[in-house]
Amino acid sequence: MTSWRRPALALSLFLPILLRGAVDLPTLWAERVKSTVAVEYVTETEIARQPTIAMGTVVDEKGTIILPSGAIDPRAATWQLKDFKVFLPGSAESTAAAYLGQDAFTGWHFVRADEKLWAQLKPVTAFVREGAARSLALADPVWGIGLRPKEEDFMPYFLQSSVALVQALPRRTGIAQQEVAAPGLPVFDRDGNLAGLAVAAFGQSYLQFNRSGRAAPVILMNVEESSAFLLAEDMLPFLGRIPKNISGRPLAWLGAYGLEPMDREVAKFLKLQSTSGAVISEVLEGSPAEKAGLKPRDIILAIDRQPLPRLKPERVVVAFIEREIERRSPGVALLITVLRGTEQIECQTILGEEPKLIREADRRHFDRLGLTGREFVYGDAIERRVKSAEPSGVVVHYVKPSSPVAVAGLRLDDWIREIDGMETKQFSSAVEQLAAIEKDASRSEFVLLVGRGGETAVLRVKLN
Amino acid sequence: MSRGFRQLLDAVVRIDVREVAFEAGTRRYSASIGSGVILSADGVVLTNAHVASPRAIELNITLANLERVTARLVGWDHWTDLAVLRIDMAEVKRRGFKLSPARFGDSQTLFPGEVVYAVGTPHGLTRTVTRGIVSNNNRYFEDTRGIGGFETGAFNTWLQTDAAINPGNSGGPLVTEDGRVVGISSRGYMGANNLGFAIPAATAKTVMERLVRDGVIVRSYVGLVPGALQDLENFYALAINTGVLVNSVDPGSPAAKGGLRGGDIILSIGGLKVDGRFPEQLPPIQNLIASHPVGTELNLSVKRGAEIRNFKVVTEMLESRVGEEWALEKWGLSVRKVSRAYARENQFDDTTGVVVIGVQPGFPGDVAGIARGDVILKINQEAISSLDVLRAAHTAYEAKAMPTLLETQRNRRVSLTILKP
Repeated sequence: MTSWRRPALALSLFLPILLRGAVDLPTLWAERVKSTVAVEYVTETEIARQPTIAMGTVVDEKGTIILPSGAIDPRAATWQLKDFKVFLPGSAESTAAAYLGQDAFTGWHFVRADEKLWAQLKPVTAFVREGAARSLALADPVWGIGLRPKEEDFMPYFLQSSVALVQALPRRTGIAQQEVAAPGLPVFDRDGNLAGLAVAAFGQSYLQFNRSGRAAPVILMNVEESSAFLLAEDMLPFLGRIPKNISGRPLAWLGAYGLEPMDREVAKFLKLQSTSGAVISEVLEGSPAEKAGLKPRDIILAIDRQPLPRLKPERVVVAFIEREIERRSPGVALLITVLRGTEQIECQTILGEEPKLIREADRRHFDRLGLTGREFVYGDAIERRVKSAEPSGVVVHYVKPSSPVAVAGLRLDDWIREIDGMETKQFSSAVEQLAAIEKDASRSEFVLLVGRGGETAVLRVKLN
Repeated sequence: MSRGFRQLLDAVVRIDVREVAFEAGTRRYSASIGSGVILSADGVVLTNAHVASPRAIELNITLANLERVTARLVGWDHWTDLAVLRIDMAEVKRRGFKLSPARFGDSQTLFPGEVVYAVGTPHGLTRTVTRGIVSNNNRYFEDTRGIGGFETGAFNTWLQTDAAINPGNSGGPLVTEDGRVVGISSRGYMGANNLGFAIPAATAKTVMERLVRDGVIVRSYVGLVPGALQDLENFYALAINTGVLVNSVDPGSPAAKGGLRGGDIILSIGGLKVDGRFPEQLPPIQNLIASHPVGTELNLSVKRGAEIRNFKVVTEMLESRVGEEWALEKWGLSVRKVSRAYARENQFDDTTGVVVIGVQPGFPGDVAGIARGDVILKINQEAISSLDVLRAAHTAYEAKAMPTLLETQRNRRVSLTILKP
């Protein structure tokens, strides 16, 4: 009697799943494509206008788009970035957009499309399932969108895979079996709920064989499609981090330079057993870390008494610490526990504001001389190991090929110490001096003293 | 041929060298051939520093009669690429040989176009004579890594000749028709035809005498890198043939501490006026500084902008950037002590540590991720103030292999790693 009833029971259990399987993917896909765009912008340099295209995801009703951190060269000054344009998938028409800046914590660049486009966009938040974002399970199917190149009008196409692994890097990252979306575009589960945001692909190891059959290892990276994605739970809380200004400031700063992970063997040797940690290589001059009494070679073990997590690979712990700093604001207190020698010490630090970055430094181009001078900033002092209070002046940011300064031997990143025997103490007075030389048509030469590595060189620049 | 020339041929020797190198985490032995010239009846042989260095572990000399005798290194001076050997005279006496020394000529009176001969062992071809002329009698060039990684050329100019000088000629004499030694053949331009260089006898004679007397040459150092003024006199508002341009000042050097900086013009050193208008004039100026006893307070008269100021600089001993080398074979690491010059060049706080110059694949150092160029600062939390600290730790490891903690630095980033048995 019981024997024939069993199949019926099994059937009633399976039925709902079969029904759920009949999701109309093309309809879901068509709706979700509206959350994706291609963004084109131009980087203007002294001699060229370099266009770049990146894929972005729409995150709100006001046409706000996020681009992955790698979409814009971190060395480019914000004023060099021009002519932001948004293309809808499958369209050759573009709409103007504004660059809003980069968020330090997520690394995302924020762009806002012109208002007339808003109606045609659909924020990806519309596809968040009610309730808590659930974690994806192993082997769950996931799918996403890729966009073809500009000459194919950014035609959208479908990508699908399954979850192979979920890992904390330190952000919770899903890794699919194959490419699942273009980096910067959303990933969805089978029901069309937002599963995450595709990030830059990982390098894949291959062997490259030459004609004689010898193999050499190479690492290949797919720049168009990625199998890695940030899980929705580690993405959604941060969509509102639109920079208050284009510089992305305020930026929290500790000033502990060159963090290097402590590996398991070292921890064991130091009798720290399963503790995770990171060695501080240098404590920067005048930094919050220095004020808090942190020392070079201290090993960071805990932040706000929370031991650092053990992450794989071990170097991820460095990203973890950096994020702990970046998620906070300048002025916030941070209690850092370090191992110094055999002693554990707690250092109360107050995070500061990041000193002026190279991309924020003032620049001035001198066309006749053939160079762009850049303001000497804190990072230059660190790199050149000089006290930041020392006279600073100008760093060479660009040398025009075959120009007078190029012929004289001036190189990128040279530090101009003297112009015509005058010490360059301030950027402003130094560029005035260069401007005067540039303007003076009767000048036939001038002399620069430049610093390069630990050395200096006297360069004689012939004009005309 | 003159009688003098025939006598000279009897003084030229072939030198077979076996030397050790601390490469790729181990000791490697290699053999090479050079030339030399006997300059005294009691067995002094002059050759190149790049032929016979302190790395040599065996030196054999083939005399003109084709017989072999042993020799030892008396001293070397890579700055001028010269080394002095002493033939084992007991052996010479026992075997009944007689040495016939060559004589120096005057290199100062050589003129371009004068015929000279190079004698030596090019590519192992013993007793080869080639002929050419003096192409230039006052050539300047410096090479910061010229002699097996050691610096050379700051304190002398060179004789340039078109007499064929090939590998193996090194250390052999460059002679005039009367057989007088006017130079020591040293190097050629790779890939060029007949561009050979020799150390002038005037330099060779002094260096040889001092090496024979003291075994070393001590020079004073202040850390100035001079540059030729060429025609910058106008710019610096200088009378012609006055002053030498400071191109650079070594960080942390006596000159830097004394307040000198790049772009300064030195008018006089210790009261003696200097003239560095042309590159060829720079070695004598370097020699002027070097010739003072270490620790001398030098008065430098310096023109900076419009003003002329006096600086006092206390000299220190000139040292090479290349420190002592060793191989820690159980760990598969070849290391070189951080020298004062290396530390300053790389802006280290002090000379603690060793630079990794070679790693043997699969050995503990390699497994721990140590690479060429890394600086090992501490071992088991003890600062590496000398190679002995490392040698002691290595010996202890040889006796009983235990996990060993290293603190290393790579591009200013400090890591901790474990050498695992």
